[in-house]
Amino acid sequence: MANILSSGKIGKKHLSERGLVNLFIWPTLILLILVNIFPLFYSIFLSFNNYSVIGNKLPIWVGFQNFKDLLTNEQVWNYFAITGRYALLSVVLQTVLGFGLAMLIREKFKGSGIITTLILIPMMLSPVVVGLFWKLMFNPGYGIFNYLISWLGIPLTTDWLAKGDLALWAIVLVDVWMWTPFVMLLVLSGLSAIPEYLYEAAAIDRASSWFQFWHITLPQVAPLVLIAVLFRSIEAFKSFDLAMGLTGGGPGAATRLISIDIYTRAFLGQFKTGQASALAVIVLVVIIAISNLYITALNKAKES
Amino acid sequence: MNTPKSKRPEVNYATRVDKVTFKSKLTRNLKAILTVIIAFIVLIPVFWMAATSLKSRADAVAAPPKVIFEPSMEGFIGLLTQRRQVTAAQGLEEIKQDPNLKWYDRVMLNRGQQIVGKSEYVGYLKNSAITAGISTILSVLFGLFSAYAFSRFKVAGKGDLLFFILSTRMLPPIVVTIPIFLLYRQLGLYDTTFGLIILYTVFNLSFSVWLMQGFIDEIPREYEEAALVDGYSRLQAFFKIVLPQTITGLAATTVFCLIFAWNEYAFAVMLTAQKARTAPPSIPSVLGTGGIEWAQIAAGAMGFLIPVAIVTFALRNYLLRGVTFGAVRR
Amino acid sequence: MATIELRDVVKKFGDKYAVKPMNMTIQDGEFVVLLGPSGCGKTTTLRMISGLEAVSSGNIFLNGKDVTWAHPSARDIAYVFQFYALYPHLTVRDNIAFPLQAQAVKRDVIERRVKDVSNLLKIKHLLKRRPGGLSGGDQQRVALARALVRHPAAFLMDEPLGALDADFRETMRAEIKALHVAQKATTVYVTHDQIEAMAMGDRIVVMSNASVQQIGTPAEVYHSPTNLFVANFIGSPGMNLVKCHYQGGKLTLPGGSVYVPAEGWQKTLDHQLGDNQTVVLGFRPEAARVSGEPKISADVFLVEMNGSNVLLDLHLDDDNIVRIRTNRGVNYGLGDTINFDLDPQMVRFFNPSTEAALVME
Repeated sequence: MANILSSGKIGKKHLSERGLVNLFIWPTLILLILVNIFPLFYSIFLSFNNYSVIGNKLPIWVGFQNFKDLLTNEQVWNYFAITGRYALLSVVLQTVLGFGLAMLIREKFKGSGIITTLILIPMMLSPVVVGLFWKLMFNPGYGIFNYLISWLGIPLTTDWLAKGDLALWAIVLVDVWMWTPFVMLLVLSGLSAIPEYLYEAAAIDRASSWFQFWHITLPQVAPLVLIAVLFRSIEAFKSFDLAMGLTGGGPGAATRLISIDIYTRAFLGQFKTGQASALAVIVLVVIIAISNLYITALNKAKES
Repeated sequence: MNTPKSKRPEVNYATRVDKVTFKSKLTRNLKAILTVIIAFIVLIPVFWMAATSLKSRADAVAAPPKVIFEPSMEGFIGLLTQRRQVTAAQGLEEIKQDPNLKWYDRVMLNRGQQIVGKSEYVGYLKNSAITAGISTILSVLFGLFSAYAFSRFKVAGKGDLLFFILSTRMLPPIVVTIPIFLLYRQLGLYDTTFGLIILYTVFNLSFSVWLMQGFIDEIPREYEEAALVDGYSRLQAFFKIVLPQTITGLAATTVFCLIFAWNEYAFAVMLTAQKARTAPPSIPSVLGTGGIEWAQIAAGAMGFLIPVAIVTFALRNYLLRGVTFGAVRR
Repeated sequence: MATIELRDVVKKFGDKYAVKPMNMTIQDGEFVVLLGPSGCGKTTTLRMISGLEAVSSGNIFLNGKDVTWAHPSARDIAYVFQFYALYPHLTVRDNIAFPLQAQAVKRDVIERRVKDVSNLLKIKHLLKRRPGGLSGGDQQRVALARALVRHPAAFLMDEPLGALDADFRETMRAEIKALHVAQKATTVYVTHDQIEAMAMGDRIVVMSNASVQQIGTPAEVYHSPTNLFVANFIGSPGMNLVKCHYQGGKLTLPGGSVYVPAEGWQKTLDHQLGDNQTVVLGFRPEAARVSGEPKISADVFLVEMNGSNVLLDLHLDDDNIVRIRTNRGVNYGLGDTINFDLDPQMVRFFNPSTEAALVME
């Protein structure tokens, strides 16, 4: 009797827990599905249609026409190339500099905690505000950038944002300024996780500093560096705010990152909603591809 | 036999032999100095932003840039007010006649401008505060409950669900904005604070779930199990045991969400026009109104810099978790 | 091969001494064990010899050369860590090859020496695995292989068997000892296990409270401890130490038994204590010989069967227990009164205030 009673009670409790789980999880899932997944599929649907939000016409199914138009358009390829160059340059620079900075800060000294925190401020700032502000700094007349460089004995009157190549470098520079601390933070955490006894063993094993760096430090922090590169690569391909604030995609279309192009197609001028959606889908595919590449690499790194 | 250098200070702490050599100490000091120099260089734009926000309109665009200048609140006042142009003589007259003028009225009158009301930016700031505040509360609440469920119960397909939740954050905002724009127009949510709040809530939700789960995972289950044995219900145990223990995690998550929402630009620029517009997309538009008001832009930027600087210090131990979605915990 | 000499070596952490002035010379090919309870400074001493810890003062000589401030890699010593300290991201083979690769030794030489040493330690089948998945014993073998592969001048081992299961420990103990016998390499071995120390060491350095208590062969520290700490710490159980009253050539034990020490000791005690003094009588459990005549009598309190012999806990009085070993042939009941004599060769005396052993004159 007692047995049956207690087991019944357990059953009831189990049920109520199930209810609780559903109550706790489903609102989140529903919100995510409504605001992320539904629009995603809607986007995919629109990408196969000829549609403009300002025209009063219903979407017209055009199959792969949008994709064909986009992928045969040299300009679109150019925007991808710009985005790729920007992503590659900034991620490589951030990784190298971030790693170097982490190695430098690794050994604690008095006040190193505060210094580290100060260096981390840029990555928390609003990218559009940062972009805007660097615009002032880059100004050839009253900007501080050229002024400071002239202190080093190199007089510069360059208008960084007015020339195509330089403008891209300017965006890369600001992106590096913002996000190097991010890489540094991850590498630092990786470095602090390396047990001291490995270096003791290496010192006993008569390994030089270089040998220790290549055979202990590097392999030990590799997974975290990969995570940093993954995050930054995805972010670089999504990048929108910073370039908008700094150059707005100009001069001409020299810094027109792919997301700025989508924005322009969708919300300015002709409001080519269908085509913009198709481009967004292409970008999404690219991002998924990059992510997979890294995740594979990451898993390999974790195995070892 | 060689004897040790008599002047060598005693090593009364744990350290390796090679770390107390002169060379090693020198390297360490050089590294520290280099770090300080780098930190200084990194922070130049931040200093410059702060300095410019305190410059007069003319000083802000002086060439070459003015490093030493007379501080002025013009930028801040200009950003927050609407003004009428008056002549210098009128301005001085006004100051003489009206003893009840506030200090900011005087500052602007001296510059030949009369304050006639609040600027639109004040409204944008208010929108920003409301949107960021409410969306943060919502995403942290939803996130907390989901994270608790994921942390403590067997949920079918948990790994996949969590990955799904994370992947939504990886979506470029631009991919989902177009359909949301269409949808919002249809539903009348375009350019409404409510519409933006929903969007920001969800935008931060995946983040909040991941981060909170990490924090809750760290609270030993035994505490709750003890409470359950003592006759508390799950829900009671959650409120009485888990919530108090996760309060720091909750605070960290809240502040991260707040900063993300406060900084957000892409959604705001695409889904608002005027009524619900927030501060980030409106700062660039200050550019357009009557010449380039760099002092005002800098003043607006300070509205982003100061909270962020405070938060960075307050959260320094959680930054790593925050920026990696709790994937890396140190 | 190498001699190691410590001259007035001191290590302080803040104001606290981790190692008080220490002097010791280790001969070429010798196996020296640093033995003591945890926190006594034995590992710190080992780390100072290796250079992983800087000395506060004093000097360390390797083969007569002052290496006090030399980098660990300049000392040509191998160190076996308590928790192995294997490189987790490298295979067993690469772990063993690491010290050679670090010295840019030729590939074929590395190959040959890794093969030799892995044959010696019977870990050939593990070469392709990573250390994470190995058992403690195998990890320990890999750590030993990594130390052996270089042919270093000396081996330093920090409780290498501390993390192993008890029965496996005995196997490894024998293996390490055998390796030492074969290689004749100077070895300094740290342990808190006195059985291990007795079994392995040519000489034992007993440490306690940051200072050396005694340096001697296993037999010396066992039979002639220099002070109460060593007497109690060495042996299991340790030496029986009984506070007695000495007067007129006779010792009165707690409980009233009277014991007359050998003539040599009587002279020493008379000389060194004067009349009417307290002295600590020390004897090993196996020094007791149960006899009929009432020399020292005590009550059986506990009987512990040890296989080959029986360990008896005896009450002299309510506060004093001695433990003696007897033949397993005889059965004793709890509460029985036993009379026993002491082997005069195995009787020791200690000064209760200085705790130092008295030396027979």
